[in-house]
Amino acid sequence: MAITTATVAEAETSDNLEGTSRFAWLRAFRRPWTLTGIVIVLIFLVLAIIGPWISPYDPSAVSKAALQPPSPEHWLGTTQTGQDILSQMLYGTQVSMIVGVCAAIVATVLSVIVGLAAGYLGGLADELLSLLANVFLVIPALPLTVILASYLPKTGSLGIILVISVTGWAWGARVLRAQTLSLRKRDFVEAARATGERTGSIIFRDIFPNQIAIIAASFLGTVTGAILTQASLAFLGLTNVTEWSWGTILYWAQVSSAMLSGAWWWFVPAGLAIALLGTGLSLVNFGIDEFINPRLRQAGIGTKKAQRALAKAKRAKIIRRPQRVRTVRDSAGPFNPVTSDVILDIRNLKVDYVGENSITPAVNDVSLTLRRGEVLGIAGESGSGKSTLAYAITRLHKPPAQITGGEMIYTNADGSTTDILSMGENELRDFRWEELSIVFQSAMHALNPILTVGAQIEDALRAHRPGMSQQERAARVIELLGLVGIQTDRVNAYPHELSGGMRQRAMIAVGLALDPEIIVMDEPTTALDVVIQRQIIEKIIELKDRLGFSVIFITHDLSLLIELSDTIAVMYAGRVVELADAKEFYRNPRHPYSQGLLASFPTLSGPKHELTGIPGSPPDLRKLPHGCAFASRCPFAFDKCVTEVPPLFALSGEAEWRQSEAACLLYEGDGTVSGTTAAGRSALDDDAHEMEDAR
Amino acid sequence: MRVLLRRAVFYVITAWAAISLNFLLPRIMPGNPADALIAKFHGKLSPQAVEALRVLFGQSKASLWQQYLDYWHNLFTGNLGISYAYYPTPVADVLGTSIGWTLVLITVCTVLGFVIGTGLGMLVGWKRGSWLDSLIPVTTLLSSIPYFWFAICVVLIFSIILKWFPLSGGYSVIETIGLNWGFIGSAIYYAALPALTIVVASIGGWLIGMRNMMVTTLSEDYVKLAEAKGLPKRRIMFTYAARNAILPSFSSFAMSLGFVVGGSIVTEVVFNYPGIGTVLFKGAQAQDYPLMQGIFLVITITVLVANLLADLAYVFLDPRTREG
Repeated sequence: MAITTATVAEAETSDNLEGTSRFAWLRAFRRPWTLTGIVIVLIFLVLAIIGPWISPYDPSAVSKAALQPPSPEHWLGTTQTGQDILSQMLYGTQVSMIVGVCAAIVATVLSVIVGLAAGYLGGLADELLSLLANVFLVIPALPLTVILASYLPKTGSLGIILVISVTGWAWGARVLRAQTLSLRKRDFVEAARATGERTGSIIFRDIFPNQIAIIAASFLGTVTGAILTQASLAFLGLTNVTEWSWGTILYWAQVSSAMLSGAWWWFVPAGLAIALLGTGLSLVNFGIDEFINPRLRQAGIGTKKAQRALAKAKRAKIIRRPQRVRTVRDSAGPFNPVTSDVILDIRNLKVDYVGENSITPAVNDVSLTLRRGEVLGIAGESGSGKSTLAYAITRLHKPPAQITGGEMIYTNADGSTTDILSMGENELRDFRWEELSIVFQSAMHALNPILTVGAQIEDALRAHRPGMSQQERAARVIELLGLVGIQTDRVNAYPHELSGGMRQRAMIAVGLALDPEIIVMDEPTTALDVVIQRQIIEKIIELKDRLGFSVIFITHDLSLLIELSDTIAVMYAGRVVELADAKEFYRNPRHPYSQGLLASFPTLSGPKHELTGIPGSPPDLRKLPHGCAFASRCPFAFDKCVTEVPPLFALSGEAEWRQSEAACLLYEGDGTVSGTTAAGRSALDDDAHEMEDAR
Repeated sequence: MRVLLRRAVFYVITAWAAISLNFLLPRIMPGNPADALIAKFHGKLSPQAVEALRVLFGQSKASLWQQYLDYWHNLFTGNLGISYAYYPTPVADVLGTSIGWTLVLITVCTVLGFVIGTGLGMLVGWKRGSWLDSLIPVTTLLSSIPYFWFAICVVLIFSIILKWFPLSGGYSVIETIGLNWGFIGSAIYYAALPALTIVVASIGGWLIGMRNMMVTTLSEDYVKLAEAKGLPKRRIMFTYAARNAILPSFSSFAMSLGFVVGGSIVTEVVFNYPGIGTVLFKGAQAQDYPLMQGIFLVITITVLVANLLADLAYVFLDPRTREG
């Protein structure tokens, strides 16, 4: 179990390798700390090569200058017998580096062979090789190395290299095996296998190159380990003590009681050299780690700018406001746009991803209103900014994402208003969950694996309702589980013990814990199969009608959204391009992008129609065009579209309760399709799936 | 507890592999160590000792299988042979007097190093992007320092220059060994520097490992959700982030422990500490194979037990492993 968990963690890292080029990891080398590491390692490499030539004395030559501290003649002083320590260090660098690098090469080759073979072959071979690796991992390496080394008395470097590599290959093998296992299931490997490529060539042509980063990391780690082990063995007198290495210098210093005579210069340089080289190698490895695990990279550097801004925002504006008054909401009854008031008013919200020297707008000038009891559906492709918007509304965005403008006005139950963006940390903590909760896409990842479902509901209660007793909390937890349709005896179940649908229900129960006014749902059903999806959606509708909360529902599934929502906002490249009443939107989508989206999705109910897609792909947010972001994919684009960003135009037409709006220059002026292009007019008046003909 | 059972079986296999390796090594290694040893003692060995030595190195007439069975029989009866570095003391006795010192020292230091390192790692990871990140290169340097070299520096500063602590040994010779305050106090006093060395040198590894896991965990959805729930920071940090981030430390405990044990053994030599490490050093110097093999066995078994304990803790901490 311990091993399988580690394996999962190891396997996870590989997912991030894809999508970037195989050699993208070389880019990690540009980080300052990584560069420092590389410079240190290079200096030692050069010294190892030229050491014997530039050393001023014969390292073994005795002289009368015994135990001299550092001086112009002997830069690092001398030993008890008058040997020059600098010369010993220079010769020693060569031996230590040769042992370290060679042992690491042998160990890495071993681990690559075992790891790839175990991961690729699977079955019994995998079982046996993994067992072997795990046995070697658990057996303490140093005592084994000591015994092995002592059987080869006074061995030279070759023996030591063998001994170190025999004990040092297991960790690398284990990591590589996990990698190979996950790569093996990838499409490109499956494809290679299907086309009848030979096993050996699949391993070396398709799998091996994808693991170079991991292998490099494992190699560098082994070099450090090998140099340390060699030094330890030499220090214990188990190597040939007349061959100069850093460890041998320390051995002679120890047996001659250098520290008793205060001869610090005798042992300090060798230890420092080992530590420095080890640090250099580790720094290079951190660079590789951060490449393999992008989460580290993001957190490590983030962007200084964004982090400063965050710190500033934390300090700013901590105004004491009176305790929230909770009033009982009129629940039930379908949403009525005329009688319900605006509960959340988002005005000109802007969210940027702030890089070291670039700013990427992810949410651009978005204005939306949410009324009490309303279901506001936000649709868009991935990268349209819809999830960024969800995080911004809950203020859960992390650097480098940064809210750079706008307001989010929340109307309290008593009618007073608050700007969510100006809330201080404590106020925000009170506001969260009490007024606004969020349901994430994957309940598997959003529930804490080590807490029971009940405990994860209860801690929200405990944090926000200090007055509640233990029994009251327990009763409320049971009530909530009943509400979402989970058997109440599952209260002590851990997330992994529930099925996917049950987990998502549990998520919703957590979201409902404090009876919030607004629930943001970020693709809550995307990860589920269609039948379960249906059940969850029905549950959400039922609960909404019963409890009367408002929902911001985010998904790329337009047909689902049309069925569920009162209002639909379509996002494209960070902007809202169409905002309309759901029924009106379905009957008559106005923005060319909405038409394309609708034409590419089957509806759950309603007439069949031919599915078409939208040609092209979403724009790169870092390089947005000057005009309308959709222009390059739009069949109706005309000259002006390339130069002017269209605002939302109110549209004419018989809207049920709210006027549709679309950000398209076709509707400039009177809100009807302008006569700029005849083709545009005719096509837009027709059904959406006729777009193909218009092109 | 199927998981634990599986792990226990794995450790039994590992122990068997280590013991068999111990049996095989003298038989497959080149050269003739037995003769070398016998020659070294210039006939001062008793005939039984010579015979035992030949048996150890596989020069007996019995079949390899019979030798293997005898080897196991000897193990279970506590007969690990006679030490040559401490001739004529049996290996078991040499181990008996030294294992306690090492066990206490390493256990205390491992726990301290783990707690301090993991705790600091948690903080550094939690405050990622702050000045605390500058601790990372420092701890990297610390963790790259060879234990024994750090020990030498510590001795030079605290024993020789400042004279705050004794130079070497495990207790003051004027005390009688036993459970009396004088002896315990002196043992703690003598252990302070070795312990300091091991703890400081091992903190870095735990710290960096925990920091990276913490950072990785902090971008998990469940931590975001905890934040969205408006939970107190303390609860998010401990129950949501750290409790999950610490799990890999337990699953990679074996390797980390191997490093600490290896480092501690060499550290003991510098302090001439009366533990297993110093004995191993003397054994290696005298090519005392029975003693080295005995030490290897004892350390391996102890490490396996420690790993089993780590697995127990893991099962306790992670409900996902408690199934079945």
